[in-house]
Amino acid sequence: MSRAMVEVEELRKEFPRRGKSRQDPPVVAVAGVSFEIPQGEIFGLLGPNGAGKTTTIKMISTLLKPTSGSVRVAGKDAIRYPIQALRHLGTVLSGERSIYWKLTGRENLEYFAALYGLPARVARQRINALLDRFALTKRADENVERYSTGMRQRICLAKALLAEPDVLMLDEPTAGLDPQSARNLRDLIREVKSEGRTVLLTTHYMEEADQLCDRVAIFDHGQIIALNSPGALKHDLDDLNVLEADIARWDDAWGAALQERGAVNYDLRFDETARVHRLTVHLNGHLTTGEAVTELVNLGADIRQFSLKSPSLEDVFIRLTGKSLRE
Amino acid sequence: MDEASGMHYWRAVMAVAKRWLTTYIRYPTWVISVLLWPVLFPFGYVFSMRALAGPTGEALSSFAQLAGTTDYVTFLVTGTTFWMWFNIMLWGLGGSFRMEQLRGTLESNWLAPLPKTFLAVGVFLAEALMGLVQLSMSMLTIALVYGVRLAGSPWALLSLILISIPSIYGTGLIFASLVLVAKEINGLIFFVRGLITVFCGVTYPIAVLPGWMQSVSRVLPLSHSVSAVRAVLAGGGFGTIAGQLRYLAVSGAVLMALGFLAYAIIQRRMLHAGTLGQH
Ligand SMILES: Nc1ncnc2c1ncn2[C@@H]1O[C@H](COP(=O)(O)OP(=O)(O)OP(=O)(O)O)[C@@H](O)[C@H]1O
Ligand SMILES: [Mg+2]
Repeated sequence: MSRAMVEVEELRKEFPRRGKSRQDPPVVAVAGVSFEIPQGEIFGLLGPNGAGKTTTIKMISTLLKPTSGSVRVAGKDAIRYPIQALRHLGTVLSGERSIYWKLTGRENLEYFAALYGLPARVARQRINALLDRFALTKRADENVERYSTGMRQRICLAKALLAEPDVLMLDEPTAGLDPQSARNLRDLIREVKSEGRTVLLTTHYMEEADQLCDRVAIFDHGQIIALNSPGALKHDLDDLNVLEADIARWDDAWGAALQERGAVNYDLRFDETARVHRLTVHLNGHLTTGEAVTELVNLGADIRQFSLKSPSLEDVFIRLTGKSLRE
Repeated sequence: MDEASGMHYWRAVMAVAKRWLTTYIRYPTWVISVLLWPVLFPFGYVFSMRALAGPTGEALSSFAQLAGTTDYVTFLVTGTTFWMWFNIMLWGLGGSFRMEQLRGTLESNWLAPLPKTFLAVGVFLAEALMGLVQLSMSMLTIALVYGVRLAGSPWALLSLILISIPSIYGTGLIFASLVLVAKEINGLIFFVRGLITVFCGVTYPIAVLPGWMQSVSRVLPLSHSVSAVRAVLAGGGFGTIAGQLRYLAVSGAVLMALGFLAYAIIQRRMLHAGTLGQH
């Protein structure tokens, strides 16, 4: 196995509860997580809002001191020697606000190149190459405030790659992007991987984690509840059938009845646009999909449509936590 | 620090200063603070003084006795000009850090592999430069609009201004650090502003203050800057203001050291609390 570029051990972060007295227990944002990312891997942190993904990324990127635990980046102790660790890191935090809107794309890159210590000549070459590669050359001399969200995100990515880091970290890279831009960005991330760099990203889109990541750590309440390749995580659910049904009206008693009959799990979410309840039922041998549908109809459910799916990472999450990823 | 990192830090400082100035002038309101405010600001004081003095200045004798001059226009505009400079700085440094904290650029600056003090040095240089531009604008205005003339040594005036910078920006850096933890310190700023207005003899001679207030006044560096400027304008040279220069040099060193110390402490705190960015 190639050498680990990121090593996180028993990492923990507590925040004092705001506005409460000191005796109150602190908020445990990250409750002791450990993982290692070998060189050249795309590693994803997947989890619902507040699971502790950003907190973890910030501790690795030295913006936040852990309560306990250790972080090494390219073998350097990031807590003791943050500056040394930062030399190997390129980080894009969430949102598009990490660059200056009143500067042009090129000026932003020149500025950060200087902060990273690149000599002017090297900086100029790399900036031109990155602008070219990210299709920004034509707009490079316009203020960033006039860019689209996708363009800003690409400038942020270019900024993170300026110093040719061993490790690229991205917090919710595709949040707020239209599907086309998100696809583009995912392609760029794959390209970064193909250059031999290690990528750590957070997301709460399970499809993204599924398509993009070599391995995924599923976060919930500050803990890693599963860690494996997307394929392996889903494989563990091999015995599982997933029934998805749109129902006009829902009664919690029906869910209980399904479980009584042998359904493993169910999850419900209201689809605002279609104005239906979207029910996901996990089934194994004890109850077939046909039986489940019949049961629901007998209970009086008005099923608009139903389908069978192969398990996704979402189902892995539901199976592990009993709740859906998107709240 | 080896030579390569020395070059790196120097480039970073210069880049921060350049970025600060570029973004500053791209927000159009800079024209107001650099060109308009310095011209308008002293008028209010000048006219209220004129009202009190009477049309021919017959009521000025008490003022003249305490201030040592009947030229209240010069007296006032020098005081208010320095007050304004101090004020801009008091908001400026903290304001620009706070804005970056809110916008999220503070965190992306912190991701750079260098000691973060250099970032503050860069902002400090830019602020000081812009402050000098504003001050020059004010002084030009004073000369053109209010007819104030420099009777003393221009070199003494220049040295005085330069030597006032560390005290002023040291205080600014302490404030900037407070802004970053407290997030809202308008109250504190108003308090300090009031303190300066009352104690530094901006619009009246310090001699009118009760004794204990005069002692407070003597501690504040800005009182020394203001009184020394007045002395040079009235014809003084290095000899006349040697005492003030010495005091300003010492207080400048102390306040700058405290400023950078506060910045370092606050930086550590923010790294623990996770408040570099907005949460
Ligand atoms: N600076 C802070 N001070 C206090 N509490 C914080 C701070 N930063 C994060 N938290 C808390 O820590 C927990 C984890 O937050 P975090 O931002 O890491 O979650 P996340 O997985 O990134 O969620 P999201 O998907 O919403 O971005 C949350 O309960 C959050 O409120
Ligand atoms: Mg987050």
